[in-house]
Amino acid sequence: MSTMGGYLAMTRAEFRLFRREPFSVVFVLVFPLMMMMLLAAVFGNKQADAHKIQNGMLMWRGVTPANYYTAASVAGIVAALGLLTLPISLASYRERGILRRFHASSVSASTLVSAILTLALVTFVAGTIVMAVVARLVYHAMLPQNVLGVIVALLAGTAAFGAIGLLLATVIRTSRSAQGIGLLLFFALWLISGTAPPRAVLPASLRDVGGLLPLSHLVTAIQNPWFGFGWSGTDLAVLAAWAVVAGLPALWLFRWD
Amino acid sequence: MDHLRKTYRHVMAVDDLSFEVEAGEIFGILGPNGAGKTTTVECAQGLRRPDGGQIRVLGLDPTTQAAELRQRIGSQLQDSALPGRLRVAESIELFAAFAHRPVNCDELLTRWRLEEQRAQSFDTLSGGQRQRLFIALAFVNSPELVFLDELTRGLDPQARRATWELIREIRQGGTTVVLVTHFMDEAEYLCDRVAVVDGGKVVALDTPQGLIDGLGLPSVVRFTTSEPDLAWLEKTDVVESMARHGQAVEIRGTGPVLALVASELVAHGIAPLDLRVERPTVEDAFLALTGREIRE
Repeated sequence: MSTMGGYLAMTRAEFRLFRREPFSVVFVLVFPLMMMMLLAAVFGNKQADAHKIQNGMLMWRGVTPANYYTAASVAGIVAALGLLTLPISLASYRERGILRRFHASSVSASTLVSAILTLALVTFVAGTIVMAVVARLVYHAMLPQNVLGVIVALLAGTAAFGAIGLLLATVIRTSRSAQGIGLLLFFALWLISGTAPPRAVLPASLRDVGGLLPLSHLVTAIQNPWFGFGWSGTDLAVLAAWAVVAGLPALWLFRWD
Repeated sequence: MDHLRKTYRHVMAVDDLSFEVEAGEIFGILGPNGAGKTTTVECAQGLRRPDGGQIRVLGLDPTTQAAELRQRIGSQLQDSALPGRLRVAESIELFAAFAHRPVNCDELLTRWRLEEQRAQSFDTLSGGQRQRLFIALAFVNSPELVFLDELTRGLDPQARRATWELIREIRQGGTTVVLVTHFMDEAEYLCDRVAVVDGGKVVALDTPQGLIDGLGLPSVVRFTTSEPDLAWLEKTDVVESMARHGQAVEIRGTGPVLALVASELVAHGIAPLDLRVERPTVEDAFLALTGREIRE
């Protein structure tokens, strides 16, 4: 059997495990969907809001709040998996000796990581479809205008958040601390990256901090093609930079036990 | 392909620890907790990097040729686990996918009596079932050499026996076995040769019987008699000491103690019904070598 056979088998196993683990399904897929429904219900779907200005910025980026949150919540799925599911499950794999077991049986780090990232990408695509369909049915929100653009943004998000999750899993030793640190990071990012309150309402300082972090760029990278605003090269470049900056040390420092 | 002429040379860096394992043998590494047994075999499998010394396993260097080596060896690790919700058959298929020469998964399940558990997830397996699964996984890549670390931990006596028989059968098939254990009976029953490890060093290396014989440990002969005076027995050459508690007599000595004591007794008209001998065991040898009990 080749490396390919190992990759396929590991990917299949990871899919089975993901499906059987209610926490990951609920948090990664249901939580962002629920937040989209809630925030869209709070801020409504009025065309008048589309051009509302706050702090000199278009508050909802020129679309209705429901449309805004549909695309932004897709970014929430990516962040939840990268900051929570990935480090928690990898840390617990290491803690329980599962990584040791894999290592002794010719499983390479790149195979394991590829399988996990494949699972992540498929999850994001599935989550995006569900998000788009639910928002369409409930709020008559728009479907992605440029599907390819959204897929490319998801790829960039998978690379960036996959790398960050891997780095967290490498630095954090236990699954319990991965849970604590992951939740803290997730909610901090979620609150200042335009996924919860729009960035226009944030104080300038928080907006600046958020502007350095990957989630705000993922939000725009997904929103722009979704709303038909064209490609967002800068945001994709920032995400790629995060992927490299977090990914290289993560692979370098990767430990099996 | 001429396995029988191949020898593996291991020079371990635990604390200047050295030994060789012959092709086709069952080699035991016996020692108290913390003796360096697990570290030693983990170095040999390329899971740990030694700080000094040289290791050759199947002609390969585990520190630089680990990937190649792992295709040819099987490992049953201490303190490892599988993802909780992965099922038995799924995990065997998963590991088989990484093997260049995978065995038939169904045969492996049957051999290690896991057919009934094939759809059960790892979390729901009993300790013994998990252990059998780990042993099965060690053989999934048709290894030439397997490392079994605490082979029968968590198995009930019946399953231990069955496992021992299977390991012997596997050796018949030409696979070399390195067995890390702290069970004396296991080492005695299974191993062709045993290295006793203590404090990171090999303190003795021989066949189980050779270990016992080499130390000149006493046999103990016991019987009961109402005969009050047995002083003449102590004069027999092989007898080193005699103790008496009421009718119970205990004689220690080396050499053919039982035969000589028996003939003396019969010559004096005493024929005890309960005359018996306790030969020194590997456990006695271990105690003598390390000065400690092995049990946890």
